[in-house]
Amino acid sequence: MKPARKSEILVTSFRKFLPFISLIVICLVLSLLRPRFLNWEKISNIIRQHAQIIIMAIGMTFVIVSQGIDLSVGSMMALAGVCGTLLLTIGVPIVPAIVGGCFAGLICGLLNGLFISRLKISPFIATLGTMQVFRGLVLQITKGLPVYRDIPPAFDRLRNGNLSDLVRLGLFDSIPIVVIAILLIAALAMLILRRTRAGKYLFADRISIALILALLIATVAIMMLRLRRFMPIPLILILLVAVLANLMLRYTRLGRYSYAIGSNVEAAHHSGIRVGAYIVLIYAVCGFLAGFAGMIHFSSLGSGVPTEGVGYELKVIAAVVIGGGSLMGGEGTVSGTIAGALFMAILLNACVHLQISDFVQQIVIGGLLVLAVALDQRLKRKMEGGGL
Amino acid sequence: MSQPILQMLGINKSFSGVRVLRDVDFELRPGEVHTVVGENGAGKSTLMKILAGIYRADSGQIVWKGKPVEITTPNSSLRLGISMVHQELTLAQHLTVAENLYLGREPLRQRHLGVISRKSLFRQAKQLLDENHFDLDPFAVVLRLPIAQRQVVEIARALAAESEVIIMDEPTSSLSAREAEEFFGVIHRLKARGVSIIYISHRLEELHEVADRITILRDGKKMVTTRFESIKMTEIIRYMVGRELSAMFPKKEAPIGQEILRVENLSRAGVLHDISFSLHAGEILGVAGLVGAGRTELARAIFGLDKVDSGRIFILGKELRFVSPSKAIAAGMGYLTEDRKVTGLALGLDISANVTLSNLKKLISFGRIDLREEREVARQYVTRLRITTPSVRQKVLRLSGGNQQKVAVAKWLFAQSRVIIFDEPTRGIDVAAKRDVFELFVELTRMGAGILMISSELPEILGIGDRILVMRRGRIVGQLDPRRTNQEQILRLAALGAEHAA
Repeated sequence: MKPARKSEILVTSFRKFLPFISLIVICLVLSLLRPRFLNWEKISNIIRQHAQIIIMAIGMTFVIVSQGIDLSVGSMMALAGVCGTLLLTIGVPIVPAIVGGCFAGLICGLLNGLFISRLKISPFIATLGTMQVFRGLVLQITKGLPVYRDIPPAFDRLRNGNLSDLVRLGLFDSIPIVVIAILLIAALAMLILRRTRAGKYLFADRISIALILALLIATVAIMMLRLRRFMPIPLILILLVAVLANLMLRYTRLGRYSYAIGSNVEAAHHSGIRVGAYIVLIYAVCGFLAGFAGMIHFSSLGSGVPTEGVGYELKVIAAVVIGGGSLMGGEGTVSGTIAGALFMAILLNACVHLQISDFVQQIVIGGLLVLAVALDQRLKRKMEGGGL
Repeated sequence: MSQPILQMLGINKSFSGVRVLRDVDFELRPGEVHTVVGENGAGKSTLMKILAGIYRADSGQIVWKGKPVEITTPNSSLRLGISMVHQELTLAQHLTVAENLYLGREPLRQRHLGVISRKSLFRQAKQLLDENHFDLDPFAVVLRLPIAQRQVVEIARALAAESEVIIMDEPTSSLSAREAEEFFGVIHRLKARGVSIIYISHRLEELHEVADRITILRDGKKMVTTRFESIKMTEIIRYMVGRELSAMFPKKEAPIGQEILRVENLSRAGVLHDISFSLHAGEILGVAGLVGAGRTELARAIFGLDKVDSGRIFILGKELRFVSPSKAIAAGMGYLTEDRKVTGLALGLDISANVTLSNLKKLISFGRIDLREEREVARQYVTRLRITTPSVRQKVLRLSGGNQQKVAVAKWLFAQSRVIIFDEPTRGIDVAAKRDVFELFVELTRMGAGILMISSELPEILGIGDRILVMRRGRIVGQLDPRRTNQEQILRLAALGAEHAA
């Protein structure tokens, strides 16, 4: 076995950081072309516009890492989002309605996962089917018409609001519900923890880490509060989802098994992983986030529109792939996915800004997707031992 | 002495700065079987891949029938008349034998539209198979053929391409003893027709059946080329490893302890019939049998990968009901499959993730995997099993076969398996790595584990086993004591059954 050499390490890390490098490069190029293109307002707008794509892409990362694919995200987004808005129309407060939308998505995702793992249908075909089924369902429920009656006007703050608008979303009115939810989760966690051997690790260093983390969070929170008029709510939501998803992928069994299943499903099975159960969970995560994305998407429309989200699956998958995810499974990160999604979002925005036509935009985006994957493949081959 | 059909002169090749071939010369005469041996990483495969046009040499010359040639692509190699029969079979599994034989060279009925003439395709295939006495149905779909026959299809394909040189990379690795015997017959017939064969194998003991000459490589350098009769086996091994292996099999000193696995009357329709045996702590139980005798199927059934119709399995005295891999592992079982790349390892993940995969919960507190602890664990196993790697973050993909095997073993060590099933543990690894594997067995037994070792290498079963089970057609036809038996007796049992073996 030859030791890792400098050039190899270079190639490896270059490949790892490729999505971020691309993102920075495109920002630099744009800044040179149009010095005032990228300002805070512009960036917040881009994030507001593309929040639903970014959030779905984070869910899709789990799926693609496990060598799956979910073509039904666009339809799930519409179905779950409409379910959530229907809750609003019958007078459910905003925050619980959002949670309801997420759970509608979760149920759709569970169905996807069950089809794939129990009926042994390939993910592509299964979700191709449910893409139609979910779309048909939402159209049937709404008779094809938008759901807009009695939706509280403050609902639009979910996408258009800033941190200072959190009050208007009713987050603080829902405090009892939130508290109950947190208590429930805590109780559950306690139950699970009692089954694992607690006290296996010393808590001393944990406490210091926790202190530093608390300090950091406090700093960020204060900054956010100071900037509360400029801090888009979608940005906060994306950060929250991203941090949680990243922790899940890197530090939990669900995440680790996603990589193992994606890398070699047979080996995972032989290693005692209950592959079927984890596949259901993986698609459930994707569905949950699609539901969340649907609520964000419909908030600015002020209504639940059953025809929204068509073609989103391609944008979402493209974001993951540009971000370093491999359709062959076993590769992909949350941070890469976000970089990939931002890359596309900024590019799209720049096209509009530079008055490039819709048609050319599509050509540019599609071309870049192919180019990004080709470059990644090249680096991968270089990394994995010479030849050709 | 006849003119060589092929010469390779001063071949050099480096991969990302590491030299894997240094000034290697090689020649092949018409109608000879020239065997190339060397440890894993000695450069055999690279040399052959250069010949097959898969890699290009950095420098050096290839001379074909006295004329220098450039081999740049697999196609240009094939056009010269060189075919490679790959270690991992490369047939289109869903097509028929005939379609595979002429893949890319189909006889056309209408040249411009590319319409294939199925009639002449199958006629040609039939003729080719008959001429060479290959017992194959041209209409058979490859997927449904046993591995041994697929190997023959590969060789027939080389003949269909009218190759004069056939490179065989570990051709007998997936064949049982009898199939291998038949296969050597095929080689002798090819030789008689004047086909030259380059034969690569780890199974040194089978070389005397076929080899005319031998070339030994070590660390990318040619050590020697000589007539096969003029060299002793011990010399070959010394050239390969640069030192003499004192003994292939380390001494076992673990006492045989309590029963840790008991299988009672296990049956699976058409596959396993009424199988009962037990395995004790500190014991190595060899399972011999021909390919298709049901050895792997037995392992799969015990490990819960296949459903059984009846029978009971006890581990450490406790019965395993409705067994599944996760339950089997939790009960203390581990299974190293024959094909570690397909079923044993997540190749795209790093060493540490692979080592901990079966027992991740041990590293989890408050739902969170302790990555630092995980790397520490992996590092311990890397040291203990002498896995050669720059770091535990290395992808398993990039390790050599022997080291991958060790990672797979480490996984079961970390899962604290007491009953470990090894299916063909020494396949495709070199002499020194084999010795490592056996040392590992000894250490495992010392720690109180019991090993069920399925192997087609009878000398290995005899050398390391405490007891031998012989299987034939899904039944156990004999339990033997390795000190009071020999290869012949085992083979007779495996091939003919108990009544003929006495």
